[in-house]
Amino acid sequence: MDFEWSVVVDALPALFKGAQLTVLITLAGLVGGLVVGTVAGLMRAYGGALMNTIAFAYVELIRGTPIVVQVMFIYFALPTLADIRVNPMTAAITAIIVNAGAYIAEIVRGAFLSVHQGLREAGLALGLPTWKVLLYIIGPVAFRRMIPPLGNQFIVSLKDTSLFIVIGVGELTRQGQEIMAANFRAVEVWSAVAIFYLIMTGTLTLILRITEKRMRIL
Amino acid sequence: MSIVEFRKVTKRFGQLLVLDEVDLAIEEKEVVVLIGPSGSGKSTLLRCINALETINGGDLIVDRISVRESRQKVRLIRQEAGMVFQQFNLFPQMTALENVAFGPHRVRGLSRLEAREQALVMLAKVGLGDRVHHYPSELSGGQQQRVAIARALAVKPKLMLFDEPTSALDPELRHEVLRVMQALAEEGMTMIVVTHEMAFARKVGTRLIFMEGGKIAVDGQPKNLLDNPQNPRLKEFLQHVA
Ligand SMILES: Nc1ncnc2c1ncn2[C@@H]1O[C@H](COP(=O)(O)OP(=O)(O)OP(=O)(O)O)[C@@H](O)[C@H]1O
Ligand SMILES: [Mg+2]
Repeated sequence: MDFEWSVVVDALPALFKGAQLTVLITLAGLVGGLVVGTVAGLMRAYGGALMNTIAFAYVELIRGTPIVVQVMFIYFALPTLADIRVNPMTAAITAIIVNAGAYIAEIVRGAFLSVHQGLREAGLALGLPTWKVLLYIIGPVAFRRMIPPLGNQFIVSLKDTSLFIVIGVGELTRQGQEIMAANFRAVEVWSAVAIFYLIMTGTLTLILRITEKRMRIL
Repeated sequence: MSIVEFRKVTKRFGQLLVLDEVDLAIEEKEVVVLIGPSGSGKSTLLRCINALETINGGDLIVDRISVRESRQKVRLIRQEAGMVFQQFNLFPQMTALENVAFGPHRVRGLSRLEAREQALVMLAKVGLGDRVHHYPSELSGGQQQRVAIARALAVKPKLMLFDEPTSALDPELRHEVLRVMQALAEEGMTMIVVTHEMAFARKVGTRLIFMEGGKIAVDGQPKNLLDNPQNPRLKEFLQHVA
């Protein structure tokens, strides 16, 4: 068979639109995921018994179920259960927030706990409250250690958005699927889609590399 | 009124009794040297003073505040009792200058500029005026410990606690730290120092305390005790460290 370049060219506008949605879901999802993950991770690391248990239950619940099930639950089960109606886009972003948040919580917890106990004591001994010690002393050291595992999670989450095809979000994979259904050019369409994903994950990797280079790893 | 007063202070780690009804009063300008065998409770006694360890019994008053008071009050104690650790514990993401300016800015509320100026003065005082922009990883152990002393001093404490400040250092780097500590004592700083440096105890100390099994076994003049130890356990201990 021969590779029909015109198929790719014709598909480009739709694929670009899909890629935009993929980026949007990933960005919004990861920003939210970072907030949720940081809070849950700190609850795990420094919270009392109750906080710790709540965060632990959340992490286990999410890590123990597939993301497809999670987004199906948000999109199809929540309306029935709690009368919460969401559009596919909101469901997709929420799924990334909740899912990435659980994994990021473990990354945050691990990084904070890996910081030498002496730094915490040195901060407290100066007369600072604990939250300032975490914010100004432990946090910056922990953050540098989080960059490699966070990068990994960002890439996983970006690719996870392709699973939202199941709730009909018009992201990149969905666009590819629709074009394919119309022209049956599987090789051209899926090659193009794969390259779009590679460009996005490659950009992410590059940004993380640069961030890591700019920071002294401690 | 004593600056530090232990009243029958008890400290346990689980079943282990580490401080056993310790009574001790320390006055301003005293330089107390704390010695004793490993595990006798020296570090714990020191760490109770700035409430890094919470006491289980009795009371401990530091600068008129009890360590059993609210967290906010405890922070006031910590601001008045600077601490120097065996392992330095400098903030690795900050330069020497940033380490020292941190306390004045974040704890005492000085502006960044004022804090920086104060930090420069402190670093010059410990002989590191030419190393201010170095990160801890770029400094020798002796230099790191001097930065740590400057960091504690920058908060303007009334009292300084040292937990084996030279034990992690190579012998040839110890004297530079001990010299800074001696200068500080000569300025009239109240100091409590856990150390095995008997020469420092003799020359700089105004009081020597020998701890054993969570109790203060001997308390007196450094010269007298070092030249003529009456307590047999102290005598034996001194033979080991000498
Ligand atoms: N956080 C802790 N948890 C449990 N036990 C502890 C803790 N800290 C100290 N201990 C125990 O308390 C006892 C006294 O410890 P401390 O560190 O005060 O001794 P020390 O006199 O400073 O000894 P060294 O000369 O070895 O530093 C030791 O038996 C030690 O194992
Ligand atoms: Mg000790």
